[in-house]
Amino acid sequence: MGKGVHIQELPGLGTRYDVDLRSGGERVSIVVSRDGKRHLYVFTSGGTDDPAAVVEMTEDQARKVGAVLAGTFFVD
Amino acid sequence: MHANLIGLGALILVAGLLARFGRRMGLPTVPFFMLAGILLGPSTGGPVAFEHPEDLDILAVFGLVVLLFHLGLEFPVEQVLGSGKRLFIAAGCYIGINIGAGLALGFALGWGAKEAFVIAGAVGISSSAIATKLLIEMRRLANAETPVILGIIVIEDLFLALYLALLSPILSGASSAGELILRIGISFGYLALLFAVARWGAKWIGKLLDTRDDELVAIIMIGLVVLVAGISADIGVSDAIGALMIGLVVARTSIRERAERIAVPLRDVFAAIFFIAFGTSIDVGAAGLVIVPVLIAVAVTIVTNVTAGLITARLFGLNQRGAANVGLTVLGRGEFSLILATLAIGAGLDERIGPFIALYVLILAVLAPILASNSKYLARIIPDRILHDRWRYVREETISTACTHLDRINITETDEEACAECVELGDTWVQLRMCLSCGAVGCCDDSKNKHATAHYHDSRHPLIRSLQEGDGWQYCYEDKTLVREPAGSGRS
Repeated sequence: MGKGVHIQELPGLGTRYDVDLRSGGERVSIVVSRDGKRHLYVFTSGGTDDPAAVVEMTEDQARKVGAVLAGTFFVD
Repeated sequence: MHANLIGLGALILVAGLLARFGRRMGLPTVPFFMLAGILLGPSTGGPVAFEHPEDLDILAVFGLVVLLFHLGLEFPVEQVLGSGKRLFIAAGCYIGINIGAGLALGFALGWGAKEAFVIAGAVGISSSAIATKLLIEMRRLANAETPVILGIIVIEDLFLALYLALLSPILSGASSAGELILRIGISFGYLALLFAVARWGAKWIGKLLDTRDDELVAIIMIGLVVLVAGISADIGVSDAIGALMIGLVVARTSIRERAERIAVPLRDVFAAIFFIAFGTSIDVGAAGLVIVPVLIAVAVTIVTNVTAGLITARLFGLNQRGAANVGLTVLGRGEFSLILATLAIGAGLDERIGPFIALYVLILAVLAPILASNSKYLARIIPDRILHDRWRYVREETISTACTHLDRINITETDEEACAECVELGDTWVQLRMCLSCGAVGCCDDSKNKHATAHYHDSRHPLIRSLQEGDGWQYCYEDKTLVREPAGSGRS
């Protein structure tokens, strides 16, 4: 963690992690709920400030996506 | 022993199917559980699934107890205490305005003083479950105002404990002022005692509950919870508070996470039975008697919520979108209002109060999601001067950024090429920073005098940007974060 990740507590719901991708306003926000669910918000630059996509994942699905993103070797 | 399993099964099944239908239209579940009770209960014409609703009592009370136990169990003590004074002020305003207006409305209806106290809570305390679900469904979890909204509803839950501690003695039918004061004293004393147990006794309770066996954890925990709730009711403090407080206690033990896992399905089923049971006591025919007061109450709720939203937005430096979202997201009323209605019916208050709260909850259940998802129209008509009389700011663009102060940007360009204060002192500087609120230029924190940061401490203007060629970053002192430019305010 550390630099470039903004952490925001969401009382009663969980924690939100904002990661800036590019100076143009491209970023992702990940909300980790207390019940294990993950909400991934994708913001693209330009236009409106509404999220371009929102994906809801279970803990298991998030772990898979996370492993692929992190480059962990992955065999079915 | 005769149990009406067919009736019970039909009630729960219909409630679940109705709620499922409602969910497809984005409506909250609790009002539909109640609706199933109304439609299939004996008070309303048509098919009757349950001839003797009082047979449901023990299940319904158990539902109330696990509902509040789970609320206490989930209460995010650390997150709330760590969220700062500003949130408590905002929540205080929110609760004060809503409860105050509810109390005024209650007295204006002229049904009686006890009834007024119940109405104050029923229209004043929002449903945290409905608001949280709405935020997720409207895809607003990344919005700047969302932590504020969640903070307010969580503090409202805490307020509920104090409110119930005051209400139960009032409803208990004390014969003199002295007796009433004594009962209120007992009530708050008991509350303080349970707080003390939560603070210092959790370790021992944890030892009692903690076994390797989930089955035994569930049984011992539920036994303890129901017993504490029952004792609370017996000494006149209400089972609801007892359950809430024992939830806070268990939340501080080592079995917290297992307890949550065990409590959730129990809560889901039995709380639904509680809402259904409440519905069975409601006669649709009585709706005509209360429709005017209900419509007034709905209008009052919308006005008080929007007002509180504006105050909150001012406190937190949110823009119009934020203000409208805060005001319109917390409109939903549900579980707490129905709990209060049940208490009122149990205490034998004016019989209009049950249908009044039922209809009020139903109307807001439909209105709240519609209004919340159309908050942008409200945002457009909020005048600038209500939020910030001094700031000219970006109206709709700052909404989902991590920094809540982008609306304070007044000025982004300057011809200044020196730190005036350093020049006066005859000192030099490393780099220059510019205040985006008033345009003041000062030296950076690597410089000897750190005038830019000093300017923030004097003026509380939160944002600066670097004047270094090619840097292009902005920093917010309040949120301690580097921030992106608001969309649409390109600095060219």
